[in-house]
Amino acid sequence: MYLLFNLTENLPILFKVDAMSIIFAAVTIIIFLGSGIFSLEYMKHEQKKKRFYVFYLLAFLVLMGLCFAGNLITFYLFFEMLTLASTPLVLHSGSREANMAGLKYLFYSLCGAYMALFGLYFVSKYGNTLTFSEGGVINQELAAGHTGLLLVAAFVMILGFSVKAGMFPMHAWLSAAHPVAPAPASAVLSAVIVKAGVLGIIRVIYYIFGAAFLKGTWVQTAFMVLTLITIFMGSMLAYREPVLKKRLAYSTVSQVSYILFGLSAMDMNSVTGGVLHVIAHGFIKAALFLCAGAIIYMTGKTKVEELKGIGKEMPLLMWCYTIVSLGLIGIPPTGGFISKWYLAMGSLETGIPGFSWIGPVVLLVSALLTAGYLLPITIQGFFPGADYDYKALKKKEPSALMTVPVLILTVLTVFMGLFPGQLISWIQQAVTKLI
Amino acid sequence: MREIMMFIVILLPVVTGIVIPFLPFKKRKHMEIFLESFVILNSLLVFWLLMNRPAEPFTLAKFTGDLTITFKLDGMGMVFSGLVSALWPLATLYAFEYMTKEEHEKIFFTFYTMTFGVTLGIALAGNMLTMYFFYELLTLVTVPLVMHTLTREAILASRKYLYYSLGGAAFAFIGLIFIVIYGNTTDFILGGVLNLDKIGGRTDVLLLIYVMAFMGFGVKAAICPFNSWLPDAGVAPTPVTALLHAVAVVKAGAFAILRLTYYSFGTEFLKGTWAQNVVMVIVMFTIVYGCSRAVKETHIKRRLAYSTISNLSYILFGAVIMTPLGMMGALTHMVFHAVMKICSFFCAGAIMHQTDKHYVHELDGLGYQMPGVFAIFTISAFGLMGVPGFAGFISKWNLAGAAVESGNPLAYAGIVCLLISALLTAIYMLTIVVRAFFPEKSFDNSKIKEYRDPNWKMMVPLSIFAILILIFGLYSGPIVDFLTDVANGLY
Repeated sequence: MYLLFNLTENLPILFKVDAMSIIFAAVTIIIFLGSGIFSLEYMKHEQKKKRFYVFYLLAFLVLMGLCFAGNLITFYLFFEMLTLASTPLVLHSGSREANMAGLKYLFYSLCGAYMALFGLYFVSKYGNTLTFSEGGVINQELAAGHTGLLLVAAFVMILGFSVKAGMFPMHAWLSAAHPVAPAPASAVLSAVIVKAGVLGIIRVIYYIFGAAFLKGTWVQTAFMVLTLITIFMGSMLAYREPVLKKRLAYSTVSQVSYILFGLSAMDMNSVTGGVLHVIAHGFIKAALFLCAGAIIYMTGKTKVEELKGIGKEMPLLMWCYTIVSLGLIGIPPTGGFISKWYLAMGSLETGIPGFSWIGPVVLLVSALLTAGYLLPITIQGFFPGADYDYKALKKKEPSALMTVPVLILTVLTVFMGLFPGQLISWIQQAVTKLI
Repeated sequence: MREIMMFIVILLPVVTGIVIPFLPFKKRKHMEIFLESFVILNSLLVFWLLMNRPAEPFTLAKFTGDLTITFKLDGMGMVFSGLVSALWPLATLYAFEYMTKEEHEKIFFTFYTMTFGVTLGIALAGNMLTMYFFYELLTLVTVPLVMHTLTREAILASRKYLYYSLGGAAFAFIGLIFIVIYGNTTDFILGGVLNLDKIGGRTDVLLLIYVMAFMGFGVKAAICPFNSWLPDAGVAPTPVTALLHAVAVVKAGAFAILRLTYYSFGTEFLKGTWAQNVVMVIVMFTIVYGCSRAVKETHIKRRLAYSTISNLSYILFGAVIMTPLGMMGALTHMVFHAVMKICSFFCAGAIMHQTDKHYVHELDGLGYQMPGVFAIFTISAFGLMGVPGFAGFISKWNLAGAAVESGNPLAYAGIVCLLISALLTAIYMLTIVVRAFFPEKSFDNSKIKEYRDPNWKMMVPLSIFAILILIFGLYSGPIVDFLTDVANGLY
């Protein structure tokens, strides 16, 4: 543990490294690096590059602080900073739409942060400490007789952090804010910054209140219901969305709730699945957004229906797109398959009446919808049909600065699906202590 | 000697103010130097007093019985007098620059400086009568400041201010009478002075009187529904709005309520009664109401005035929790909010002074022309929102901590109000910041090319306040410890 300084007597700003920090930090670093390289090319057609990089790097710094935060107050500090540092990324283009989306993002996120703060006030009274400890910090003696109050506090905190993760009913900002940012920023927003909310919920459930305290309570049930609604609703909205980047944003709404569902089940395997999906979804969503960005950069096309024959124009990029799409649907051998397998298995093992089988059903239906909203682009892209004008076809493969990051993310996704053994056992080791 | 000094620091600014119109200054600069040196001198005297606290009270005049004009420097008086003495020289410096565009400067500075003395009078008052006396006086010396521009708007605003304040004082007077009758003394003693034997079965009557006196003093602290004078009074020159209507006058109201609650009626008598619930509900409502109006308001100064209304009720929320921790939270927010709000008001004033723009929608792109002012405005915005690392976080933490500790379910609802208000604060402050720094793409900045940051007389106070916001946010230990001691009656 490293104590930076004391904000007040009992509010230390301190940092600590545990398994969760390492996983989230690793995902963050890889994706920021990839998007950063991608942006070198992409930002050529945007203005105010310096301003963009200031806030891009600032967001990176704040995320590192978030990953290594050792107690709740430090976490809250960086959580709020993250909102403030990432809003300029959304505002960047300066269009009216972007300004509106930026403010929406800002105020939704702050609303979430303040809900988290509400719980924080109570934790500071009923907890032994604010430092993250496996199994929770709630003082049983102090909490006796106040269980109802603490459950409310826990629920409000979970709901607060879930705003950042785009969970229903506070998801409306996500589909507005992520698509208007420049593509490298959309990639980190959708792949990493939403995960800050996930990390917050992991910390609250497993390191502050403790799974034992929340298991079987109304908080767990309500949280589970909300995640399942979000999974289904996000997929449906993505399925109906004609603009590619927006479709991907809705897909994020749905996919991040897969993770939250895993956390809400509070089962060994489901949590393992959730953490695996953090990694898999991070790589996949970053790759997808970078693909969408490359398409915009090279052709200016944003709508799905305009993308006929895109696979002929940029085959390498669209191959990557197809492979990671399969990953998001959950087809082996990709990372997405592994994480969803554990999620479904964990859900079945919880033994919570009803939810243990509703969960996997929703996951499957959503997987079907995922295929429905991602694969048509591949199909139309590579098989544009007989009326496609092959003579007008020009190769538009983007430069290596754009393709290589996407390629690396794709390889990582597949690699994770092929050789998950080490990773899984390591995560399980960490998760065992939490349940 | 030290006892008399308490009276001198009150008298000195009043005299300085009165003589200004009669002194033949050759240049404006001479007046500035004269005035600034006396204000600084007075502040130094106050700080000297704080270091060498007089043990005995000083009685200036004796009316019948135990009705006296008495000065005493106790913990709360130290906080308030220290606060205004620290802010006044800086505000005066700022006013020199700001008033170059206004007329009748001498009259303005006369009353502006007199107000310093009168505010110190409230801070140093040793009993209810003295405080009441200076409280009325404060209304009278500040009316000319509101009226200053002599526009129709200003005259109407000052009339409203006068009626509201005097009406409030009348209710406060009822409280004073009942303290005289049912108290052992009218002196301020932490824990209250009520004589339970004398009260007998009339508890409910006294509680009703408490609520009335609370509302009476609450007029100056702009509780809902007596708040409408404050945004209107924003027609006054910015140094007045910033220092008087964000700190001195309105905090005198909050100060008086703290005195009334903790030092006259006593928390033991009030805690857990219906009176506490009534005032707490009023305060909670004002917190949310002020913020919502601020979001709706597009005039910058009026927006900040509504923000003040809400933030004053933060202080009162701490006060009506009626525990030492609550009082500590109230005092913390009193000090921290003073710095944050004066900072944001001065930024607004600087914008108006440099560009003549008064509305939020006129601020597009100005952040690049006046980077200093808008950077400092952003800091004050983060402070008011309560971002960790800035002053507002600490005071809200203390307030909410007190509310949690009190175990009162109504206070839990108060925390929710605080957080709703924090969100609304973010909305009304950050929309300004976003406008200034992120104008829309189509925005043409050729029209605002000539605007610049103001000169050092404005930038120095602004920078000091911005630094203070950060210092309070990152290293609040000593000051919070001191305020805790004050709330526990160690001074």
